Amino acid sequence: MIAQEWLTKIRALPQNSPCKIMNVCGGHERTLSLGGVRTVLPAGIELIPGPGCPVCVCPEEDIYAAIQLALREKVVVATFGDMLRVPINAGKQTVRSLEQARAKGAKVHPISSPLEVVALTQQQPQQKIVFFAAGFETTMAPLAAMLAQGIPQNLSILLSGRLTWPAVAKLLAMENDPVLLPARKETVNPSHSRIFDALVAPGHVATVMGTGEWEFVVKQHHLPVAVAGFTVEGLLAAFYSVLRQRAEGRCFLDNCYPQVVKPAGNLTAQKCLKETMNVVDAQWRGIGCIPRSGFELKDRQIDARYQFPDYTSEGRERRGEMPAGCECAQVILGRIYPKECRLYGTACTPRHPIGPCMVSDEGACRIWWSAGLK
Amino acid sequence: MCLGIPMQIINIQGYNAQCEAKGIRREVNLFLLQDEAIIVGDFVLVHVGYALQKMTSQEAQTTWELLDQLMAPT
Repeated sequence: MIAQEWLTKIRALPQNSPCKIMNVCGGHERTLSLGGVRTVLPAGIELIPGPGCPVCVCPEEDIYAAIQLALREKVVVATFGDMLRVPINAGKQTVRSLEQARAKGAKVHPISSPLEVVALTQQQPQQKIVFFAAGFETTMAPLAAMLAQGIPQNLSILLSGRLTWPAVAKLLAMENDPVLLPARKETVNPSHSRIFDALVAPGHVATVMGTGEWEFVVKQHHLPVAVAGFTVEGLLAAFYSVLRQRAEGRCFLDNCYPQVVKPAGNLTAQKCLKETMNVVDAQWRGIGCIPRSGFELKDRQIDARYQFPDYTSEGRERRGEMPAGCECAQVILGRIYPKECRLYGTACTPRHPIGPCMVSDEGACRIWWSAGLK
Repeated sequence: MCLGIPMQIINIQGYNAQCEAKGIRREVNLFLLQDEAIIVGDFVLVHVGYALQKMTSQEAQTTWELLDQLMAPT
């Protein structure tokens, strides 16, 4: 079905109350923003970008550690290109990003695939290489495959992998516990207090992990969920599904991306993940610790956290926090839109980013800026 | 980095495949699809160099069109 037909179906649904639909994937947000989807939906439907950017939530301490490894240890740091420009909290005269470390002569190598990291280790067999890997399940599964196939001796991993669903569980837990809510008043439709009324679940995470991970939103919180693909049509299909569920007063987990997403996911990928990594409590930048939301390497022999001094715990001002004045954490939690941050488009732009959401291609601020949203 | 790109398999050697998307060729690792029957000509969804899932040619085509629209200069 084409986009116009989905829109007609959505418009034909009875709209009794405003509905906030959250997505938790930068890819979804990109299609929605660049496709101008917000402008064509009926009034009362709000599309909220949530925690969908692994670079944005990567602990500031981990980026600091990667910078120190590059500067102080004789290693090459290989990392996904997005990570290079994420600023840490440090004085103007000091090195504040991997890109700046590189400018100072440190060996920092942007890569787009773990395969490139393996190639790098083979090209430089005498050189110690640290792969600083941030990412959600879609990136962790390939990393697990790389580990399962065996990695060269000169490679170790600084892992900042995260799971998507625990962040959504955390958002819903915050909603039920006012003590946990950030002090700032919610600005996204303040008329009703829900963080979101329906969820569009990330299609490629579900491709790896299966759809079952999202059942808790339906069973425990009684909210409609639809797994969505990445085209405008695929997302409109998911919006139609969750809006129709609401209109009919029921909720279930719908798979609107069955062409690619199988209910059980990719079992080989899940097996690789289980064999190479543990699921542990983990820090999310600006948000805090989320239970069982991070990956940890099982093999300490290849874990850079055990191979090198622990730079993550070095005392620094604003360690682990978002930069001063930056509201990325509120954006990630879906409590404000990017344009509601005072720094958005003024002090903070893709050319001179302050917060991580303006750096990464999956960050809501960067995506909104690319789409010309002000 | 989370962006999945559909690619068509050109040839396979063990877990390594040469894949193509819109005239661009890349090495793709098939380790995560080892339990699936994969043959030359199949379309796969590729994330950071690893194939995560098989897909139909139609789904690949739709996604390529979307990527063309999103990447087009505005």
